Amino acid sequence: MLATVLDILITYHIGFLRGLAVTLQMAGIIWLVGLTLGSVLGWLGFTHQRSIGAPMRGCSFILASVPTLVFLFWLHYPAQAMFNVVIDPFITASFTFTLLNIFGVADIVRGALDDFPRQYITAARVCGLRTRQIVLKIQLPILFRMTLPALLMLQVSMLHLTLFSSLISVEELFRVAQRINAQIYKPVEIYTALGVFFLLICVPVNALALWLKHRFTRDLSLR
Amino acid sequence: MLNATALHKSFGQRKILDGVDAAITPGQITALLGPSGSGKTTLLRALALVEPPDSGIVTINGTNYNFPQKNTFTPPWPVVTVVFQELFLWPHLTLRENILLPARNVGYVNLDEALEDVIELLDMASFIDNYPNEASLGQRQRVAIARAILLKPLYILMDEITSALDIEQVHNILSLLPKLKERGIGILLITHHINFARKAADTVLFLSDGKIAERGPAGILEAPQSPRLQQFLHIVSAVG
Repeated sequence: MLATVLDILITYHIGFLRGLAVTLQMAGIIWLVGLTLGSVLGWLGFTHQRSIGAPMRGCSFILASVPTLVFLFWLHYPAQAMFNVVIDPFITASFTFTLLNIFGVADIVRGALDDFPRQYITAARVCGLRTRQIVLKIQLPILFRMTLPALLMLQVSMLHLTLFSSLISVEELFRVAQRINAQIYKPVEIYTALGVFFLLICVPVNALALWLKHRFTRDLSLR
Repeated sequence: MLNATALHKSFGQRKILDGVDAAITPGQITALLGPSGSGKTTLLRALALVEPPDSGIVTINGTNYNFPQKNTFTPPWPVVTVVFQELFLWPHLTLRENILLPARNVGYVNLDEALEDVIELLDMASFIDNYPNEASLGQRQRVAIARAILLKPLYILMDEITSALDIEQVHNILSLLPKLKERGIGILLITHHINFARKAADTVLFLSDGKIAERGPAGILEAPQSPRLQQFLHIVSAVG
C-alpha cells in the first residue's frame, strides 16, 4: 500500500501541492488576521467591559453555539442569496474561519487579562517601575506565557477547520483528494496520502507549538 | 519620618482603621502587632499609599498626602517600598532579574557590585539564577528583601514576611533586619513573633479593632498597660 500511496503522491503531486498552497494560504490569513485583530479585540473587551466586552462575549457565545459548518454554509448560500452577491468560496471560507479565530483569540486574551494577578503590578509600582516598564517587562511577558498554550491549540484547530472549506468548493487539500479519488477510486491510499500531507503541515506547527510552550511556559506556580 | 495622622479606612460598612496615628523613624524597627483582622495589613498598605486611606494624612519626609484626595497623586515609591506577605516575585524572571529590573531605575554607578554586596549580605549566591518557582520560600523571601534593599529606600514596610517559615528560617530572615537598620532604613514589620519584637524593635505598635491600643518601646511587651495587649500576650504565651 505504501508504494501505491507514494505512487499517488508522485503522480498527483502538482494537484496536491496546489491544494496544499491553498490550505496554507487560507491558514495564513486565518492565523495572521485572527491573532492580530483577536488580540486587539480581547484587549478592548477588557478595557471597555460594558461597551465592547459584553457584546463580544455575546458574539462568542453565539459563534460557539452554532456549528461551524452551519455558519459556513449560511454565509455561502443564504447570505449571498439575500444580498444577491456571489463571493469567491475561498474568501467566504477565509472570512468565516477568521471571524471564528478573532473571537476565539479575543476570548483567550480577555480571559487572561481578567485573570492577570494584579499583585504583580502592585509589586512593580512599589518598586518604582514606570508604567511603560510594567507593561513591557511584567504584563506582556506574563500574559504571553499565560495565553500561549491556548492560542497555539486554537491555531492548530483552525488549520483543521480549513477542511470544511472543501464543502463549498474551495480547492484545498481535502477537495483535491476527493477529486483524485473520484477519478481513480483508491480511497485508502488517497486519504492516507492526505493524512501524510496534513502530518507534513501539522507536525512542524505542533513541533513549533511544543517548542514555544517548553521555551516560554515554565511552571509559573510557586512551590 | 513617615507619619500617619488620623487614618480612617472602611470596606463597605466595616470600619478597618479608626483614627490611627503612627510614625516610622529612619534607622529604627517598628513592630506592628495585633490579632488577626485588627487592620495591620490595611494600615501598612495605607502607609505605603498602595491603598490610600479614606481620610487622614500620611506625611513622608515632609510631604503631606491628605485624604480624601480629589486629584491623582504620585506616591513616593520606592522611597517607601513594601515587601508583601505573598512576596509577588515576577515568575517569568530569574531571582537575579527580579532584583535588577527595578534597581536599574535607581541610578547606581556600579549596579553589579551593589547586587553582589546584597547577594553576599543575604547569602543568595547558590540560588540567585534560579526562577522563583525553583526556590524555597525562605530563599524567595530573601530575594524580596534584596529587591527592596537595592532600591535604596528610606522605609521598608514588611507584611508578615515570616509567616510561612520554620523557626530556623524565621531566625535567618529576622536577623537581617538589624543590618537594614544599620543602613538607616526605617522598617515597619508586621509580625507574630513577639520574641523578635522584644529583642529587635525600637517601637511597638499594638493594633486592635482598627485602633492603636498601645504603643511604646519594646518594654511594653514586658509590662503591657492596656487590657487588650495583656490579653493578646497571654494568649500568645499560652499557645507558645
